[in-house]
Amino acid sequence: MNYIKSKDWELPENFVTDERLFNERRKFLKLGAALAVSTAGVMDLAAKEFVPSPNLEYLKEPNLQKLTLNSYEQISSYNNFYEFSTNKKDVKPLAQNFKSAPWRITIDGLVERPIEIDMEKLMKKFPLEERIYRFRCVEGWSMVVPWVGFELSHLIKHVKPLSGAKYVRFVTLYDPEQFPDQKRSSFVALEYPYIEALRMDEAMNPLAFMATGLYGHTLPPQNGAPIRLTLPWKYGFKSIKSIVRITFTDSQPLNTWQKMAPKEYGFYANVNPHVDHPRWSQARERVLGKFLKQNTLMFNGYENDVAHMYKGMDLRKLF
Amino acid sequence: MLFVTEVEDPIKYIYSITGATALTLLYLTTSISMLKRAVNFIKYRRTVGWFSFFYACLHMLNFVILDMELDLALAIEETLEKPFIYLGNIAFLILLFMAITSQKSLFSKFYKYHKVIYVAILLTSIHFVMAQKALSVDQWIYLLIMGIIVIFKFLQRSKILNI
Repeated sequence: MNYIKSKDWELPENFVTDERLFNERRKFLKLGAALAVSTAGVMDLAAKEFVPSPNLEYLKEPNLQKLTLNSYEQISSYNNFYEFSTNKKDVKPLAQNFKSAPWRITIDGLVERPIEIDMEKLMKKFPLEERIYRFRCVEGWSMVVPWVGFELSHLIKHVKPLSGAKYVRFVTLYDPEQFPDQKRSSFVALEYPYIEALRMDEAMNPLAFMATGLYGHTLPPQNGAPIRLTLPWKYGFKSIKSIVRITFTDSQPLNTWQKMAPKEYGFYANVNPHVDHPRWSQARERVLGKFLKQNTLMFNGYENDVAHMYKGMDLRKLF
Repeated sequence: MLFVTEVEDPIKYIYSITGATALTLLYLTTSISMLKRAVNFIKYRRTVGWFSFFYACLHMLNFVILDMELDLALAIEETLEKPFIYLGNIAFLILLFMAITSQKSLFSKFYKYHKVIYVAILLTSIHFVMAQKALSVDQWIYLLIMGIIVIFKFLQRSKILNI
């Protein structure tokens, strides 16, 4: 009798995966993964898809604290940038035509070497590095952001402040043609240009960082392109965006929010779970993308690095 | 999943949507009362009021369940400490009272107390403004509507306006 003896490694025809399914297997795996893991996991997956390919060269941060990053999408679609709009979701669409190049920054005041420099040239002066920072908004929400940029202290050392320089004052661009809220004649959200300031020792703290990028890519306009400050131990409004001028002064400048509502916002604006905003609690925070809140940490978790600067100060009065 | 990935700050989002809806419906309820002689929509008034209360309930549940995470002691502490929160809670109690006494059997006895809705409107509007860091144009519009209602009511009561 003649019969075909199948070898023991042979599989029957009906075991063969359909070509269509075979070609779509990655999609299928992704779908399976998306269903299996938690929503946070799904968001990570979604996040990875939306990150623009990196265009900056920088030193990676190892993320030793193992902070869970917020997605590029979250960081770049939920923005407080009143020059565009007071609605956080409206900022991104309104910011798309923002011209952040060419961009000139003036550094003046009590410095040995006042300069006026193009953003492009400034970027080349300092090697870029990544900093994964917690970001806590005074409104009660927070996120974790992988910034790219350089330490503010590098820039300060470069311009050599004079001994009389006690404070550093930052100014955002004033351009009603580009910022719809600056163009308004009434119902303006804030007084412009936006101003923020730091005490000299705060500005020299290694945590104070000038960000020019996000997720390895040049900053999108809604996050403060082309250059912004990031101060992880202070409430977000201190981290001024789209900076055009940095001035060294001998007296304490009045920052925009303190001018607007001095009982609610101070000069320091250090993250402090024990000192509430007059209208709402600061003890806890809502991490973007999560339903459950978490405790806010003293100085937003950077106590060891910054607490010494505020020793002996009454943080309830100097909030 | 769509909801979670689209909304960055879910608790805040639920507050905004339910709060603004409840307030809008509250404005609508009083408008129906005030304009009843011009346009008679009085038969819908209770339904609109109930819907407003329904959204206020969702708003309150968001406060207790998601924001305070069912920690009632914390919820009470926050309420007593922050004017912004107790104004909202008082307004909620007023709406609760109105919702209960709007049943047919109770309404005849209690309708005269339903004027407290103007207190609720005032408190809710203040609560709404206090929740913002800075007022946007949309929020000014809410205040404008509230102003119109108050002025209208005043003129009506003092018989200057005969509608």
